Amino acid sequence: MWNSKDLKRRSVLSLGVAAVSALVLTACGGGSGTTSGPAAGGNSSIVFSTWGTPEELTRFTEFNTEFMKRHPEIKVKLQPVASYGEYHSKLLAQLTSKTAPDVFYVGDDKLGQFVSSKRLMPLDDLMASDASKTKKDDFFPGTFGAAQQEGITYAAPNDVNSDAFWYDKKVLEEAGITEDPATLAAEGKWTTDKFLEMNDQIAAKGLIGSMFWNYWATHYGWISAQGGAAYDASGKFVGNSDPKTLAAVETLGKYFQDKKFVDADSLPSGAGADSKFVTHKAGFFAQGRYTIGTLKGAKVQEGYDVVDWPTPDGKPAPTGVAASYLAINTDTKNKDAAFTYWTEFLSAEGQEFRLTGGGNAVPSIKGADEVVLEDNYPTHAQTFLDMRDVGFANYAAEGAVPALSTDISDLFLELYQGKNNAQGTLDKVAALIASKTGK
Amino acid sequence: MSTTLAEQPARVNTRRSSAQATPPGMRKEAGWRKRDRAWGYVFIGPQVIGMVLFVLIPFGASLVLAFAEWDGLTDLTWVGFKNFTDQLADPLLHKSIINTLLLALITVPIGLGLAVVIAVALEKLKTRTLYLILFFAPVVTSTVAVAMIWQQMFRADGIFSATIGKIFGITPPDWLGDPKLALIAVSIVSIWSSLGLNVIIFLAGLQNISPSVIEAARIDGAAWWSLFTKIRLPLLSPIVFFSTIVAFISSMQTFDTVFILTQNAGPDNATRTIVYHIYDLGFGRFQFGPSSAAAVILLVMTLVITAIQFGAQKKFVHYEDDAA
Repeated sequence: MWNSKDLKRRSVLSLGVAAVSALVLTACGGGSGTTSGPAAGGNSSIVFSTWGTPEELTRFTEFNTEFMKRHPEIKVKLQPVASYGEYHSKLLAQLTSKTAPDVFYVGDDKLGQFVSSKRLMPLDDLMASDASKTKKDDFFPGTFGAAQQEGITYAAPNDVNSDAFWYDKKVLEEAGITEDPATLAAEGKWTTDKFLEMNDQIAAKGLIGSMFWNYWATHYGWISAQGGAAYDASGKFVGNSDPKTLAAVETLGKYFQDKKFVDADSLPSGAGADSKFVTHKAGFFAQGRYTIGTLKGAKVQEGYDVVDWPTPDGKPAPTGVAASYLAINTDTKNKDAAFTYWTEFLSAEGQEFRLTGGGNAVPSIKGADEVVLEDNYPTHAQTFLDMRDVGFANYAAEGAVPALSTDISDLFLELYQGKNNAQGTLDKVAALIASKTGK
Repeated sequence: MSTTLAEQPARVNTRRSSAQATPPGMRKEAGWRKRDRAWGYVFIGPQVIGMVLFVLIPFGASLVLAFAEWDGLTDLTWVGFKNFTDQLADPLLHKSIINTLLLALITVPIGLGLAVVIAVALEKLKTRTLYLILFFAPVVTSTVAVAMIWQQMFRADGIFSATIGKIFGITPPDWLGDPKLALIAVSIVSIWSSLGLNVIIFLAGLQNISPSVIEAARIDGAAWWSLFTKIRLPLLSPIVFFSTIVAFISSMQTFDTVFILTQNAGPDNATRTIVYHIYDLGFGRFQFGPSSAAAVILLVMTLVITAIQFGAQKKFVHYEDDAA
């Protein structure tokens, strides 16, 4: 047993000081922290942060290795966060404590508030400079969304994902459907009536017609495909007074309430939407190109294809394009090195490198489309590109307000659960937007 | 007895001389006491600093933020009681409170009741150490691991659901996909993972009851059941009271099980607890003002419930000294 006489004053004090120091350092360390700054020999060191699956992070590491071979004077450190859900809260803490990475991803649902806070470096001059491999016009204009405010560009999409309708031919066949949606689309016959009829037939067999994630691209994509309008040109929400929008939302709500459409978010983890889709429990699934990985992982890729969103007259219409963005920390100590990394990461070559070999997204820049078509999978992979070309990112007016898109999704969930009707939902959305944005 | 003025200086002198007469060993001991006190401060220093840094300052910051709008990036705006009025009118908070209370009402009585039964069953068992290890294993297992294992067991084709389906001859329940069952699933995991700790506490409590009291009751002819209900359980009541308060507070703070087991708080927010609500507002939506207001509401709720429990203890808590 410890006897006070045995304790040496100096050793105890050292122990106490060490403990206090460790505690204080832990508190101030901010986790892994960032280490940007001049590297040995006058070189530059930058930190790049993103979320991603292990496969994606491996690809980013490979990109960094190649980048550092091209630029031995720049040392890049990858600071990954596994979960998208945890990523932004960590980034927020880092930005607030001035320990944020030099270059980092931002999700489209959080981008607006990061832009508003002036924590992202304005990029127009840099993009127009000789050092740039990513001129502004090289990107598809509809995909910038909240990355641009008052004519200034603060970030650019690193790649995008148009939410196409993946469909399971086996389920369609089981439901007695003989027509192929992609073929109908090619013939200009992919109409809303046809789509809903297929959902009716699938549901009649006890299966899920369509699965959607409950987010802005779902409800605004549906509204837009049906000819409605959510916002006007001035950024004012007009969905609650537009007859086409009201009719579209009524149909959407009805199909959810009838369980023919299912909210993928509400399915239990472990038996979620991916699981339902690969086990032939659902006909359609609105998702991006990353579904290739899910299907190949389950070894069921045969028998699945994609089609764009149906419209009343069968002509393609703009729908939502999900994106994540690459931004530069306005406080970076290595602006030139950070921009060199940023522009090469986003360049056509950079995107090709990252997205080749069954990649999970669609290029956001011209000149790299081949990666989507390289394997001829799915058969109508061109659909992703066509949807991107005409699609739209989340509305800037909405993306600029913290959690507004999430709160709106909560209101749509009430509709899907039958707790509100279409008019009531859209009125609540309009009131919420007005209270948050003043429009 | 009165003293004369002439005697007084002599008394003072006596005191002085008695102080001088203190043995050297005694003076040394007093010196060590001072040093021990100093070491004590050194040892509790890190704890105190930790408490200030990670409890008091965040607590104060949370109180301040409850009266402001702040997204973590832009300037803070004072909004008075708006966050509180908004939160008190928010159906999501209502649902969170109901879920949290339901969770507590399910897990606390069932969890503690089971623990008492198991503790009594193990009390005389020679191999109880083995059972205690088995019951205690979930307590020392990471909540993430526990939740992930149960996630698989709760699947419609998982071992737990399939077994129940077989026993009752029904379609295996979809625990995590059915809004009516999701909270029960969380309750099952909570009870299972805290059972071991409660069993240990109750076992210690049972073994601490004075054998003379039990012996006296036996001599008076008390049978096992009346001995248990009239003597042992009442004497265990201080432990039950302590465990009830701890379990209730712990239940009010349920987060990690919900977060891992039912992502996005389950179907239709069926498992949305207050702490998840606070987390979602703060770190999911960056609405730190409303999040802090909800945290203050949780604090008030916990204080009120604990005060009620303290009030109620007078009726059901018996101490051995009371009997004496």
